[in-house]
Amino acid sequence: MCLSDMLKKIKYWTLDVARVMRRELNLSLTDVGVLLFFIFLPLVYPLVYTLIYNPEVAREIPVAVVDDCRSAQSREFVRMTDATEAIHIIGYATDMAEARRWKDAKDCYGILYIPHDYSRSLGRGEQANVTFYSDMSLLLRYRSMLMSMTNLQLAAGAKIRTETISSLGMSGTSMSGSPVENVSFMLGDTEQGFASFVIPGIIILILQQSMLLGITLLGGTSYERRLRNGGIDPLGIRTSASASVIGRMLCYVFIYLPITIYVLHFVPIFFSLPHIGSPLQYFPFVFPMLIATAFFGMTVEIIVKEREMSFMVVVFTSVVFLFLSGLTWPRYAMSKLWLALGDLIPATWGMEGFIRINSNNATIYDNTHCYLMMWALAVIYFFTAIFVTRYRDMRFRVYGH
Amino acid sequence: MFAKGLGATMRRELSRWGSRRVYLWGMVIIPLTVAFFFLNLMEEGLPTKVPTAIVDLDNSSMSRTLTQSLGSTELIDIKEHATSYHEAMAMVRSGKIYGFFLIPREFEAHALAGRTPTLTYYSNMTYFVPGTLSFKGFKTMAVLTSGKVVETSLTGRGISEEIAGTLLQPVVVDVHPLGNPWTNYSIYLCNSFIPGLLELMIFLLTCFAICGEIKHGTSRGWLATAHGSVTTAIIGKLLPQTIVFTMIGWFFDALLFKYFHFPCGHPGNMLIAMPLFVIACQSFALIVCSAIPNLRLALSACCLMGILAFSIAGFSFPVENMYGAIGIFSYILPVRWYFLIYIDQALNGIDLYYSRYFYVALIMFVLGACAIAWRLKKRCLNPVYVP
Repeated sequence: MCLSDMLKKIKYWTLDVARVMRRELNLSLTDVGVLLFFIFLPLVYPLVYTLIYNPEVAREIPVAVVDDCRSAQSREFVRMTDATEAIHIIGYATDMAEARRWKDAKDCYGILYIPHDYSRSLGRGEQANVTFYSDMSLLLRYRSMLMSMTNLQLAAGAKIRTETISSLGMSGTSMSGSPVENVSFMLGDTEQGFASFVIPGIIILILQQSMLLGITLLGGTSYERRLRNGGIDPLGIRTSASASVIGRMLCYVFIYLPITIYVLHFVPIFFSLPHIGSPLQYFPFVFPMLIATAFFGMTVEIIVKEREMSFMVVVFTSVVFLFLSGLTWPRYAMSKLWLALGDLIPATWGMEGFIRINSNNATIYDNTHCYLMMWALAVIYFFTAIFVTRYRDMRFRVYGH
Repeated sequence: MFAKGLGATMRRELSRWGSRRVYLWGMVIIPLTVAFFFLNLMEEGLPTKVPTAIVDLDNSSMSRTLTQSLGSTELIDIKEHATSYHEAMAMVRSGKIYGFFLIPREFEAHALAGRTPTLTYYSNMTYFVPGTLSFKGFKTMAVLTSGKVVETSLTGRGISEEIAGTLLQPVVVDVHPLGNPWTNYSIYLCNSFIPGLLELMIFLLTCFAICGEIKHGTSRGWLATAHGSVTTAIIGKLLPQTIVFTMIGWFFDALLFKYFHFPCGHPGNMLIAMPLFVIACQSFALIVCSAIPNLRLALSACCLMGILAFSIAGFSFPVENMYGAIGIFSYILPVRWYFLIYIDQALNGIDLYYSRYFYVALIMFVLGACAIAWRLKKRCLNPVYVP
């Protein structure tokens, strides 16, 4: 008797979940505003972002030369500079003042200064100094120029060393070349491209933020309907909080499954971004993030009492969440407070794990911590979502009377 | 007449601020909190001590010295000692480390015998900053090691230490980062992201204030308070916001340039730029509201642009290197012009002459708004709410 009661309860509860899910699907797919967030945003934003960053690296940055030496060696150095990937020599300025004027007018972003004693020092076997002034408005530009100049210094040095040593009458590869070779490997983003670095993280954040926007928009709309109808949402399903919360979650995750496949699998393929992870690893990996985000959205709803408030609440957090995830400022350098705050955001773990699976060919097992944290967040936000739903019902019941 | 209508509209607007918490949050609390977040997060300036691993397959005195010197550099923190390449790679995959340095078997013996052994180092570039910093630290150490071996063998052949030292580095390129010699990330990111956030919030609140009237059907009352003049109505509505946002902006200036001592060549010019920037942002949002006088659509459009601005305005990736058809959109955003002003007037501190067009561009936004804002009047008289 008791068992059949329980079975009946479970049956009705499951039916309620299904009803809530169907109604929520209906509401989502008939609301243009929600469709904009659930469908348009994740379809188009990854493309727009990748198009912005797709040139990948800063090449051929204009640089001016002030050559006080005017010798064959100095001209050769300038030619070598011009031949690097990052730098393009736009011309010779007569003095530093002119070069500065060019830089101020943004005709160039760097100045190469070769002093008058450059070739004399080389001839005497002394150290020759060259100065490079770099504009610091964008670190990416500085980084490209710095890497080029460092490589150039090593290459020019090796060349001159070989010449000097053979002129001293000695031979032997051990000294002319380098006695210790050094080889560097860039992992994950082998070309050090900007899109390849930033897009795998951004697409995860887009998934989370677009879902949050859609959910809060639906929540705000429902709140407005309840205000107009004496505390009852005529389009809502009256059921237990748990059935309602789980039904809604299933609806959102259901909508997001095809979108996730598009965003995580096809977008990197479209633009030839790093994409070496196995789909069997990253799809199961982000699944708990979708669930956690759905519950997170239903929790955030507590401050959304108007349809359009979802913008105010969610949009600015995109920038904050981006930084909390550690993509721009690494998490090992964050203070405890910001680490803890970042821990609470599903996308922090989603981004960390997905980037490693996608670009470093890691597995879920390698990212067990991230994976479990997302499940933990899903559980935490499930309870907060239930609390919010009950709290709202209670408030409206009070108002209703 | 104008002054009376303006005063009445402003009083009406201020009373609306009292009834809606969104104004307090959007104008004051969110900008201040997020600015605090950015400045506090990146207070260190540069995230040094990147967690890395060393794979020492040689275990000689030379390799141990190398490990010790690597660990004592500013950039590198040797967190793990891996016994093989695969073990180190697994640590990269699990995110424990951002790179590792591999010393091959028989390294010391080969190096001293002149058999050219190879030092290899791996940096995980999926995270740009730690990847780059670990690369820099590894490379410096590899080059220094190689130099030391050259010096030993040169002096061994009877070349004086002086000449040997020169031969190590016959040409030295001194790179001078102008304006930010510490390559401080906070200077670089806070000066672009905080104005970007301010722009976003101005967009949102302008849309909220104007289209909210249409949504709630109060736009007739709004226009009536301004004696039927849409110009008075808009100025009366937005001027209080202009004042508050400018105050917040100046507070940010003071915080960045005075409290944190970020480079600022011409503080006066930056102070002038702030109200112009605020008004340009409001004008931008006003143009959007006039073109699509619907709260949700206007907010959607403004959010779209406001969030994209962080990428497309060229804060991190240079606009010159973007595709032309994409990069051109950066110039329709006020924050791009403000960013250019900041580079010239604060970071580089050059003559105002070079930034003249950037100031003009900010003013052009106002003219653009003047050209289209009349459209609002019809919508205000017949408010239709489309959800």
